[in-house]
Amino acid sequence: MLLRNAKILFNNPVSLELYHMALVCPDIAATIQPGQFLMVRIQDRLDPLLRRPFAVHRLYPNDPPGSFEMLYKVVGRGTQLLSNMLAGDSVNLLGPLGRGFRLPEEKGSVLMVAGGIGIAPLPYLAETIAASGCKGPSVLWFGGKNSADLVCVQHFNDLGFTVQLVTEDGSEGRKGLVTGHLEQWLTQQNELPGVIYSCGPYPMQRSVAEMAARLGISSQLSMEALMGCGVGACLSCSLRCRPPEGTQEPHYANVCQDGPVFDGEEIVWDESSS
Amino acid sequence: MANDSPISLTVELGPLRLKNPVMVASGTFGYGQEYAELVPPERLGAMVVKGISLEPRSGNPPPRIWETCGGMLNAIGLQNVGLRAFVEEKLPWLNPLPVPVIVNLFGNTVEEYGKLAAALDGQEGIAGLEINISCPNVKAGGMIFGSDPKMVFQVVSAVRSRTNLPVITKLTPNVTDITVTARAAQDAGTDILSLINTVAGMAVDAQTRQPRLANVVGGLSGPAIKPIALRMVWQVVQVSTVPVIGLGGIVSVEDALEFLIVGAKAIQVGTANFINPGVTLEIIDGLEDYLRQRNLEDINEIIGTLEVP
Repeated sequence: MLLRNAKILFNNPVSLELYHMALVCPDIAATIQPGQFLMVRIQDRLDPLLRRPFAVHRLYPNDPPGSFEMLYKVVGRGTQLLSNMLAGDSVNLLGPLGRGFRLPEEKGSVLMVAGGIGIAPLPYLAETIAASGCKGPSVLWFGGKNSADLVCVQHFNDLGFTVQLVTEDGSEGRKGLVTGHLEQWLTQQNELPGVIYSCGPYPMQRSVAEMAARLGISSQLSMEALMGCGVGACLSCSLRCRPPEGTQEPHYANVCQDGPVFDGEEIVWDESSS
Repeated sequence: MANDSPISLTVELGPLRLKNPVMVASGTFGYGQEYAELVPPERLGAMVVKGISLEPRSGNPPPRIWETCGGMLNAIGLQNVGLRAFVEEKLPWLNPLPVPVIVNLFGNTVEEYGKLAAALDGQEGIAGLEINISCPNVKAGGMIFGSDPKMVFQVVSAVRSRTNLPVITKLTPNVTDITVTARAAQDAGTDILSLINTVAGMAVDAQTRQPRLANVVGGLSGPAIKPIALRMVWQVVQVSTVPVIGLGGIVSVEDALEFLIVGAKAIQVGTANFINPGVTLEIIDGLEDYLRQRNLEDINEIIGTLEVP
């Protein structure tokens, strides 16, 4: 866990609400794993008060050395201020934090599922899997509200992924929810994927986990929560999980420390949140 | 200016002697391990660990946190590993640290406070107990004890009679006159008072008409509450015969100095640890610089020196 100032290389809009921010921080770039995250202090002031968690979207080991990119959506005051920052400005980073994705077995096929900004941690995972020599076929199912949400698709194509697009308004790809089309597609496959990696809104994650369980596929879900500290001290970012043996119910895990990546079977899904 | 002049930050809070007045507040620093890579615990004046209860507690359902203007609203619900796991799993790591470890404790009944105090009294590696009678986020005990002077007296007496360790009583600001509960704790034999815990608060999502916290109400911390905390520390210092630890919204050395100047013998840093994990180290260095710049050698020359014109 490091505390570092990092210079912004660029901070470009990719759609009305989505931004790519590239940062240079060799220490953090050298150690951060796919699915781990950083707590970003946006300004050296007290507004916004708390840091904001962001995953690494892509890593650029050589261009320039030690640089990486975050993809973020402007949803509130913190991300609004972040979107106003310019190349040359600095942000303060705390990280790498949390437990990231586990890589698949060498020959297994890989399925990734993303909903909206849930695409953020997946390109770095895809790059890492590709570089690890995993030879299995790879598929990305990517759903958004409309076509503007469906960013960095070309990058997945370049990495050899088959990309299936879904939009709620039908402006690109299939119309509807990604999980609605996914199960039908899965049942038509001769060979099921070895693992599902998923990131997106809570109801989507729940559908993916339940689908994976029905089909006997292991799932790794990157979960989101409102966070205070990012290191397991404040106990704010709770996610209800199955209790370890001999411990009391309900059991709340910390998304920041026990996750953000959880096995689908670990999570106890909340009826009211779906 | 001689940079090598001996500067003393040592403070004495009754039976508790600290090498500097900068502590971390309960619930904001875990059990010390969480920040150990960034903040060497031995640099701190003292470390107050996350509140523990006799039995483990799951805490409240999420969402448990909401950011407000200059503040953080939380309703964790005292999630903790419980006495047994604390003693077996956390204390062995804390024990050898060259820093006083204060254990914050919480009970559902007066008797539970007493049992906890007795159980911790015999443990090595504990420098003191902080009685949490001020958490606003649990249904039983907590703030209910903390706002009733008779209950404060009973809880503090129960702890006092079961331990020889220094006893700190942490007061809630959610009362009309904090000097009344301060006096009750003092009469029951507390060695030290710490104040304030979080200020009861609430936030609502106007779009969904739902509360932002699953617990509906929570406790506000952060810079938003600093003026309230400072006023209450000043009020309590006027009437108190025991040392006072000030906390509430401290994020900088200037904030820490304000509390010391109104009469706090030490301070605790809470929410600021989340924003700037190195803040306690900056405050310790900043206190030394402040003294050096004024040709002072001892932090006690600052404490309680408020000049009211």
